[in-house]
Amino acid sequence: MSAGSMSRWVDRWNAYWFPPTPTLHLAICRVIAVAAQLLWFFPDLEEHRNLLRKNPDFIEPQLLVRAISAIIPREWLFTPDAFTVLYWVTIVAGVAALVGLFTRTSLFVFALGTWIFVAHLFSYGDRHHTEALFCIFLMLLALAPSGERLSVDAAIRRRRPLPNDAGGPSDTSDMAIWPLKVVHVLIAATYFSAGMSKLLHSGTRWLNGYTLQGHTFGDALERGHPAGIWLAQQHELAVALSFFTILLEVFFFVSLFLPRLAPLFFLGALGFQIGLYVSAGYDFFQHMVLLTLLLFFLYPAWWQSRLAK
Amino acid sequence: MPQRKTLVSIVIFLVIGLHAVPVLYRSERGTLWPFMQWAMYKNSRKPGPIDTRQRRLLAISSKGATDTVTPHLVGLSITVLRQRYLVPIGTGDLSPAPELIDRLNRHRGDPVVELRLESETYTITDTGITRTDDPVVTYRAEVPGSR
Repeated sequence: MSAGSMSRWVDRWNAYWFPPTPTLHLAICRVIAVAAQLLWFFPDLEEHRNLLRKNPDFIEPQLLVRAISAIIPREWLFTPDAFTVLYWVTIVAGVAALVGLFTRTSLFVFALGTWIFVAHLFSYGDRHHTEALFCIFLMLLALAPSGERLSVDAAIRRRRPLPNDAGGPSDTSDMAIWPLKVVHVLIAATYFSAGMSKLLHSGTRWLNGYTLQGHTFGDALERGHPAGIWLAQQHELAVALSFFTILLEVFFFVSLFLPRLAPLFFLGALGFQIGLYVSAGYDFFQHMVLLTLLLFFLYPAWWQSRLAK
Repeated sequence: MPQRKTLVSIVIFLVIGLHAVPVLYRSERGTLWPFMQWAMYKNSRKPGPIDTRQRRLLAISSKGATDTVTPHLVGLSITVLRQRYLVPIGTGDLSPAPELIDRLNRHRGDPVVELRLESETYTITDTGITRTDDPVVTYRAEVPGSR
């Protein structure tokens, strides 16, 4: 590859991932994501203490748990008492990240603590998809300038600017959008994987309506969701929703290449996730939060222009 | 700044690229969280009656107290509880029952001496949903000195 063409690729890469963006948007994302994790998705300490008390060993330890166990003896960290300490350290870090005090460090500790709790929960032979992308996003926030606004750090810097920091916190940064763009790519990839695995494993039989009726009926009955029990009895509607599911999952990635239409995909996916919860209790609340953040802050021009009218 | 962009670019490559690992590396597929395979609800169903089975496993102690065996009570995830115990016992295979009783009795004074699996099948019909009670499966532990 010639130097010129290499340079063009680098320019394109930078133009996609690192355009100048308001740091306020990333700060709002930080506040919403950390608040949601702290107040809505935070681990249940008693659940972890119960697992640690009743299981002398992990059943299927996650990579992170194995890595920690290789460094720290199991009896030091993986005990009910040590997890209680970790729980409170993670909460304190979360509150600091929320108000933006030592933002990068507190976000990193908060994200790492959350990762350890989730990895521990999934080390007993069970795992779910709901937390993964949200936890990755929390960690990415620690690597981005998400404390430039709406933070104690920014307030301190405005009052007492450092000698090499004449301007204080900046209003725009070319490092303030890439975490949202990564989440967009990951959501597209995971939807594509979910849709293609249905088609490759089951073929078009997945669209027959009976499949969706069966999945919905069992879960809705077990979790007490009347809307799902009703839906499971509507064959034609189940066929239509099966097509919608496959089309959304397989073609969501198109939103990566059509920024103008991306908000419509985000709205469609948000409706999809809400529908899954209402009908059968599939609680992808973390996805709903991420899709809402993408909807408002990845391409904000669409709603800003509507507000301006 | 270019150096920071290079570092962030490496992070971006890693975060996206590591999602390929569970797809390619089948043996570790389930233990690479948060990098996961996203093949959810991929199984399909043949055209025909829609039915589902609801199960409850009850543990009866030597003093007659009855507890529903939940993931919290046994200290296992719902998936493991289902795969190791509920499904086999539900099909009449009682071989995992002693292990489950042993597990339940580790942290209690009044020992569990009997397991009872109750289940019912719900079927969607033209006239609504019908419920059929399935036969109850019972396992009684051998209590030392009871012979």
